[in-house]
Amino acid sequence: MEKVLEVKDLKVSFQTYGGTVQAVRGVSFDLHKGETLAIVGESGSGKSVTSQTLMKLIPMPPGKITGGQILFNGEDLVPKSDKEMESIRGKEISMIFQDPMTSLNPTMKVGNQIMEGLIKHQKVSKADAKKRAIELLKLVGIPMPESRVNQYPHEFSGGMRQRAMIAIALAASPKLLIADEPTTALDVTIQAQILELMKGLQDKLDTSIIFITHDLGVVANVADRVAVMYAGQIVEIGTVDEIFYDPKHPYTWGLLASMPSLENDGNDELAAIPGTPPDLTNPPVGDAFAPRNKYALAIDYEEEPPMFQVSETHFAKTWLLHPDAPNVEPPDAVKQRIRKMSSNFDKPVLVKEGK
Amino acid sequence: MAEKLLEIKNLKQHFNVGRPNMVKAVDGISFDIYKGETLGLVGESGCGKSTTGRTIIRLYDATDGQVIFDGENVHGKKSAKALKAFNRKMQMIFQDPYASLNPRMTVADIIAEGIDIHGLAKTKKARMERVYELLETVGLNKEHANRYPHEFSGGQRQRIGIARALAVDPDFIIADEPISALDVSIQAQVVNLMKKLQREKGLTYLFIAHDLSMVKYISDRIGVMYFGKLVELAPADDLYNNPIHPYTQSLLSAIPLPDPESERTRQRRAYDPASHQYADNESLEMREITPGHFVYCSEKEFKEYQQQYTK
Repeated sequence: MEKVLEVKDLKVSFQTYGGTVQAVRGVSFDLHKGETLAIVGESGSGKSVTSQTLMKLIPMPPGKITGGQILFNGEDLVPKSDKEMESIRGKEISMIFQDPMTSLNPTMKVGNQIMEGLIKHQKVSKADAKKRAIELLKLVGIPMPESRVNQYPHEFSGGMRQRAMIAIALAASPKLLIADEPTTALDVTIQAQILELMKGLQDKLDTSIIFITHDLGVVANVADRVAVMYAGQIVEIGTVDEIFYDPKHPYTWGLLASMPSLENDGNDELAAIPGTPPDLTNPPVGDAFAPRNKYALAIDYEEEPPMFQVSETHFAKTWLLHPDAPNVEPPDAVKQRIRKMSSNFDKPVLVKEGK
Repeated sequence: MAEKLLEIKNLKQHFNVGRPNMVKAVDGISFDIYKGETLGLVGESGCGKSTTGRTIIRLYDATDGQVIFDGENVHGKKSAKALKAFNRKMQMIFQDPYASLNPRMTVADIIAEGIDIHGLAKTKKARMERVYELLETVGLNKEHANRYPHEFSGGQRQRIGIARALAVDPDFIIADEPISALDVSIQAQVVNLMKKLQREKGLTYLFIAHDLSMVKYISDRIGVMYFGKLVELAPADDLYNNPIHPYTQSLLSAIPLPDPESERTRQRRAYDPASHQYADNESLEMREITPGHFVYCSEKEFKEYQQQYTK
């Protein structure tokens, strides 16, 4: 399969009064054509910074890409200037933001906001752009697009604004769509509609999607592959089945166990992850998750765990996969999920470098 | 059955009454809350669930209807003293832990505000001891007492909010989306804490939320609201296994589950209010389909639902 995006050992830090915050600490992943990669993690895990860095939308300074490469269609985006990025943003890569209330321009008609990208990137006339804007609004399921195109964002409901945002993002048929918590601000019924819409459009347009969320239900619904981020690093990545039915990292276990399932009758306590995420001004030595991890080994406090490969597509960054590690049992809530994966290697393999 | 702590009878809360932009946020709902239970209230934004909570605690004056708490009408005329005594028994935990704590007060003062108002501590020392005790109850420690809210994370702030609610020893707590603003791993911590406090202190909760899986987990019974009306009220398991009202069915079919296999085959059902085809003269009310399971329906639907249920 064709690779659209390849991120190699990306590092991003922010200069603040309190010191340098290492928001992203060596993230590597790739994305194929037409694929959806979900990135999950709690706030502060660096998932939004990673995605904004892909479009170079982080403010620089105080932000800085301190290392790594972002290969988009084989071209590295890191050294590109703002001017060069302009021809990529909105055209090749576009983004859907979390809050449709604040990310649309309240003083501009919705139609004009969609046309803006078209006129800039595709050099079409105003009249043609408007026609296309109406088509796009129709595509994202807005009724009466001919009159809606002349309305302002405040005349749209929350779900419709999010649809309008998707129309803007899709205007120039980008190869990569980054959706940063696109449904978090919406009700479940509207969320379900938007997710269906995004999947439908992906089938039609063959776009690759990076989907950032902290809702594991949404992940199970949309993702082909899942990357779990913690403290600025990807701690586990694999296909959606591998992450949900054969998770290897204790943090992934914790996330899965802390969600009540609908079968859970409420008698047993939820397995909460104790404590809070670490301060990334001074990332802890060793495994950043160790202080909150009841499975932590002595080595976790001394040396950062390397990536281990469990199958062709499944990687996890934990010492527990080391041949010398003791055998541990995941929490009960996770054990119920676990299935045998036929694609797994006989033994986890240590990954030397990069991924 | 346990004794009733709270009876809500035909409660209405309308805004902008008499003007063209009148909103019937809560439009005639009735339910009871029993001592020691957790009643979950779910629905989409704008369905009136938060307004219901706020009207029950008298943050709004009800347009019509009664809220009877421990045999007394909350919205009746009260002397200042009676009102104060009532305020002590009912407390609220708010959704946004960032906006609901005064940034210029220390944690100790925030928690002790209720203690001061109600004169629950005789001496300064007793007051601080109570604050320390409360901090410990919610999983924070003594050193946190002299800090300000901005020094805490979202989960910790929500714990402060809970400590503040507990400070006056209430019987009943209204939690308005207490975990919606928190991360998944922190949500579980707060929910576990709330359950533990309920066991230890025999608290009664009204838990308002839109995250249905968490509501199912924490609630004994669940009420579903739609456009200012309660459309279904049932024990938590019963509601999930046998949703009867089409809106409840649609809502349940929309929750994504953390299970890729069931997600691949998910069938979402849309709700169309017109599908009921109510005639003008039909009387709509809550009817009991099976013991404890109420649905808002017409006489005709009631018979259909009952038949479906027995199958």
